Amino acid sequence: MLENEVATLIIETLNLRVDPSSIDPQAPLFTEGLGLDSIDALELAMSISKKYGFQLRSNDENNANIFASLSSLSKHIESCRTT
Amino acid sequence: MSRHWLKQSERGSLFLIRLITRITLLLGRPAGRLLLYPITLYFVLFSRKARNASRNYLKRVLPQPIGLRHIFRHYHTFAATILDRIYLLSGRQDYFNIDIRGETRLLEQLKDGRGCMLLGSHLGSFELLRSLAATHPDISVKALMYEENAEKINQVIQALNPEIADMIIPIGRPDSLFEVQEAVERGEVIGILGDRIALDDKQVKVRFFDQTCRFPAGPMLIAGLLKIPVVLFFGIHQGGRDYTIHFELLTEGFHLDREERWQQITEWTQRYANRLEHHTRQAPYNWFNFYDFWDETGNTPK
Repeated sequence: MLENEVATLIIETLNLRVDPSSIDPQAPLFTEGLGLDSIDALELAMSISKKYGFQLRSNDENNANIFASLSSLSKHIESCRTT
Repeated sequence: MSRHWLKQSERGSLFLIRLITRITLLLGRPAGRLLLYPITLYFVLFSRKARNASRNYLKRVLPQPIGLRHIFRHYHTFAATILDRIYLLSGRQDYFNIDIRGETRLLEQLKDGRGCMLLGSHLGSFELLRSLAATHPDISVKALMYEENAEKINQVIQALNPEIADMIIPIGRPDSLFEVQEAVERGEVIGILGDRIALDDKQVKVRFFDQTCRFPAGPMLIAGLLKIPVVLFFGIHQGGRDYTIHFELLTEGFHLDREERWQQITEWTQRYANRLEHHTRQAPYNWFNFYDFWDETGNTPK
């Protein structure tokens, strides 16, 4: 399932010491929840671009929603991926 | 999670900034400069907090015992650059004698259109960068800063020079750095101040003035992730209308190693801190971090 794959990608990219299955798909990724920041987001976006073949852009008005949770990020990747 | 110092530590100096801005806009630079003396004196005499912040810093960098006149000079230098900022922001760099050193170091990095980071500090005046826009209109500079600050500054800037508001990239949103990445890909310059940390920033410990001190890890992490050159920027107020700008090459870009990452970031940040210390020793009164910069509990002013 893509959600698990993305959870693993987040953990591996950012070197987090948590288990992929422990990430609540609905919990916020940034500030609260996993507590990621904008530098983590950049690094994550670079990993996503490498793995799924599309670039996250700053002018996407949905960015706040896309990064709201693991579930929303996975859905976005699903709809944009080229690989 | 609060941006503590943004809100608190500068309440005093923010008052100073507003007052000076208002007076200068109303009466012009000569009157503004004249009024800097009584304003600074009042501030130094009646704000114990301001006095202490300045004294504690000066004790660290100056060999002699610190008296009121040193503190006065410190705040006066700060006040003078605030006043000049109004002129720089409204495009009046012709008003100043700006001695630029090492400009080719910056231009060389921009040659291939790969963009770079211009890393500054709260030593002297970062607004001097505006003079770059006058002499090199082809260079586009974007400043990365905290939204709360950006808003405050924006109110002033909007009135003076609406173009500059477009130059600010607010940090603190998940997608803030996408904008930085895109700007760099267009060959633009990203300006960052690398000396102050907010509570939830990633940090590294380096030596600064013979003591361990926390610095933000962000600038070097961004540089490493984007593999961009980092050029240091110091805009020093020399008194009167005289300023000196120093451009120095820190790195042509480096590759972040997964295992050694924090060691790398600490090393590069240490080099930045070394240069900052060097220039601070040369121009001690240009230091505009009016809070306990070395505070080990995380740089949050009390």
